[in-house]
Amino acid sequence: MDQAFNVDDIAPIAVLIDELRSEEVQLRLNAIHSIPTIALALGPDRARNELIPFLQDSVDDEDEVLLALAEELGRNFEEYIGGPQYAYVLLGPLENLSAVEETLVRDKAAESIAKIAGVLSPLQVEEYYIPLLKRLSQGEWFTSRTSSAALYAPVYQKVSPALQEQLRKGFAALGADHTPMVRRAAARSLGGFVKTLSKQHVLTDGLPIYRRLHGDDQDSVRLLTVEDLITIAQQLTPQEIKEQLLKQIRVTVSDKSWRVRYMAATHFNELAEAVGVELVREELIGQYVQLLKDNEAEVRTAAAGQIPGFSKLLDREVILARIIPCVRDLSHDTSQHVRAALANQISGLAPLLGREATVENLLPLFLHLLKDEFPEVRLNVISKLQTVNGVIDIELLSGSLLPAILELAEDKSWRVRQAIIEYIPLLATQLGKPFFDEQLGNLCMSWLGDTVFSIREAATINLKKLTEVFGVEWARVAIVPKVMGMGQHPNYLYRMTTVQAIATISPSLTLPIIQSEIIGPLLQLAADPIPNIRFNVSKALEILATTCGSTAEGREFIQQKVVPALEQQKNDVDADVRYFSVRALQKALSVIGMSG
Amino acid sequence: MAVTLAGRRRQIEQLTRCNPISEEQVKRLCFKAREILIEEANVQVVDSPVTICGDIHGQFYDLMELFKVGGFCPETNYLFMGDFVDRGFYSVETFLLLLALKVRYPDRITLIRGNHESRQITQVYGFYDECVRKYGSTNVWRWCCEVFDYLALAAIVDGRVFCVHGGLSPNLQSIDQIRAIDRKQEVPHDGPMCDLLWSDPDEISGWGISPRGAGFLFGSDITKKFAHENAIDLIARAHQLAMEGYKLMFDGTIVTVWSAPNYCYRCGNVASILELDEHLAQEYKVFTHAPSDVRSIPAKRPLADYFL
Repeated sequence: MDQAFNVDDIAPIAVLIDELRSEEVQLRLNAIHSIPTIALALGPDRARNELIPFLQDSVDDEDEVLLALAEELGRNFEEYIGGPQYAYVLLGPLENLSAVEETLVRDKAAESIAKIAGVLSPLQVEEYYIPLLKRLSQGEWFTSRTSSAALYAPVYQKVSPALQEQLRKGFAALGADHTPMVRRAAARSLGGFVKTLSKQHVLTDGLPIYRRLHGDDQDSVRLLTVEDLITIAQQLTPQEIKEQLLKQIRVTVSDKSWRVRYMAATHFNELAEAVGVELVREELIGQYVQLLKDNEAEVRTAAAGQIPGFSKLLDREVILARIIPCVRDLSHDTSQHVRAALANQISGLAPLLGREATVENLLPLFLHLLKDEFPEVRLNVISKLQTVNGVIDIELLSGSLLPAILELAEDKSWRVRQAIIEYIPLLATQLGKPFFDEQLGNLCMSWLGDTVFSIREAATINLKKLTEVFGVEWARVAIVPKVMGMGQHPNYLYRMTTVQAIATISPSLTLPIIQSEIIGPLLQLAADPIPNIRFNVSKALEILATTCGSTAEGREFIQQKVVPALEQQKNDVDADVRYFSVRALQKALSVIGMSG
Repeated sequence: MAVTLAGRRRQIEQLTRCNPISEEQVKRLCFKAREILIEEANVQVVDSPVTICGDIHGQFYDLMELFKVGGFCPETNYLFMGDFVDRGFYSVETFLLLLALKVRYPDRITLIRGNHESRQITQVYGFYDECVRKYGSTNVWRWCCEVFDYLALAAIVDGRVFCVHGGLSPNLQSIDQIRAIDRKQEVPHDGPMCDLLWSDPDEISGWGISPRGAGFLFGSDITKKFAHENAIDLIARAHQLAMEGYKLMFDGTIVTVWSAPNYCYRCGNVASILELDEHLAQEYKVFTHAPSDVRSIPAKRPLADYFL
């Protein structure tokens, strides 16, 4: 554990060096994490001349230890060996780490090398970094070549045009490597590399590398080129895209591997934004419809997630003509995941369509999805209703909304019940008080008696939020009596709900309501036979004291009601009641200014 | 040296986020826990209402799920019937959280010993390895094992519900005989203390040899006789996986409560807790494992061979 080592506490170096050689993995791991301490104690010269060579030789270790080493060397370790001018010394051990078998270690080592590139002078880059990059790129074993792909971008702009040309060639070689692992690494790093190239070199060098990878026979390589495509498109004009990339876009979207199509669907909006509105209308709309109708549910799910974002780039007529028919099909999709993804996005179309078209085209689909057999689909529709509410009157939906809510409210999974409770305040604002009182009031109260604690808790928080929506007078009539009623329950866990609801809701109520409706029943519960109830009454009284203390009437109330109750509770037979009542009493007394 | 109550609350909050506390804090916590546990009886007397829980086995995020269903301590009173550690990925955090709750709220939570609360078993089934991995030494494991020796062997709720990890022993006819055991030791290989932690009820008559190699099998007749002679309504025990979360046997005289959902992250079972209210009415709350978006299984770690 990190805490076990105090960096300021410079233990004998010999001991730590010994630990680096220890038999126990854990000890070596701890020692690696304290190499800054060792280096500090050795001083810059010895750290550079003794510690670094020692670390360079210790590559034959467990992956966990190597990972730690790769990480530590990238944490501004040059500060311990004489400053940035000596940072190149760290490249030695990191080069070895970039060649090991474990991917996590190599990635971390490459990350640290890239960081070090940031502090090297151009001369040092040429003298130390470029040779390292060449060695890795031409390594015999694929591991080092894989690591090298990420190391081109950090230095490209720091070197001379001649070297830049070599780098472009070097990267191109990685893209044409005979092992797919290296080509995957090249595809993953191509985007970052292309960003450092000049426009001309994007066209002359970046594009050919991309085309090579895009046509790879391995789908694991091809799917990584989707993001490269977007990055390259961002560097080009719409005209250039049309000339250079259109074929690739078409091929990607209809790739025979669903994983590639899935990647395309997932990034479709980014792609659309990169290619510009004109190409979207001419070309991409067709591709997108194709993805929405894909054979694979995963692809349709990903494409459904992009619906409103993509539709924003289209004219209303085009949405109606091209997108809506697909949406209609998706709402009847055989996969629940597709329907759930659609349910999550469909409301985003309403503002784009406007009132009339929404009523005509989307409303039937909302109603249909609200009756879906999977709770997640229904929940997703309900969770996004506020987007719809701005466009059409939500009462158009209420006939179907209500049965959907009622069913979700009684779902056998408590997490579904919890999810619907969280949307209730939002629904309340949109449906209005009369509808709410008539249709949903009882439901909200019934959650107070749920068998699951988290639902009872969510129910009290819900009532607090409803109080904020409908006001305290509504709360006094509609919810306070029912909350207080639970205080008579024969099971202490349900009486607890009353006490905790008081603690939650009181800050949103007024002093007269607390005095007339709350304090009486609460003080009765202060004498409950179960100690858990009694000390939660103490906690609730503490909250009342904090809430009411701002006015003179409130302080009088604390003096007359809260303090005497707590005075009595502090002599309780139960230790927890004594503790919480004493704490509450101190609070109450400090609020009314009688010492704390 | 003294830790304030606020400090204990912070410790509980930290452990509730599944962050282990420092070695020094563990040492003090275990020391304090022993002071409290030494005062408890072999058969700890517990008042209703209380929620009874079975095996947890280091499934920390599922323990959080349990609290979400049953309520958190101290608002809800709890009785855990052992097997807090081993097999799951978070035995350290699980046991230390329960222990921190015990130290802060000794009247609100009762912990009794399971067969896994033992030096021998924890060296085989994961807790020892986890302590060494997370703390770099065996200290935490040793301190926890010392606490194990002080845990009560059984509990009795309102004199009517007898709670024990495993079951009955042919050497024990009455609850009073349990009170005479010297419990402050490693779990023995045989004898009454071993049997309480290892035995299982079975559809046999009389006593049988246990396939576990420790404890016994006991039948309906034994169970009913024990209940009758000790004037108890129910024996609550854990120790055996129940796919439905709990299993009542022998006309409701004994129940197995199992609180590790999807045991070992692969069994597909649900879990339960038994809520006894202030009138000893029984209500079983069934729950499932924590949703997979919380970190219930660490990303990259090879499965150790002590999984089933």
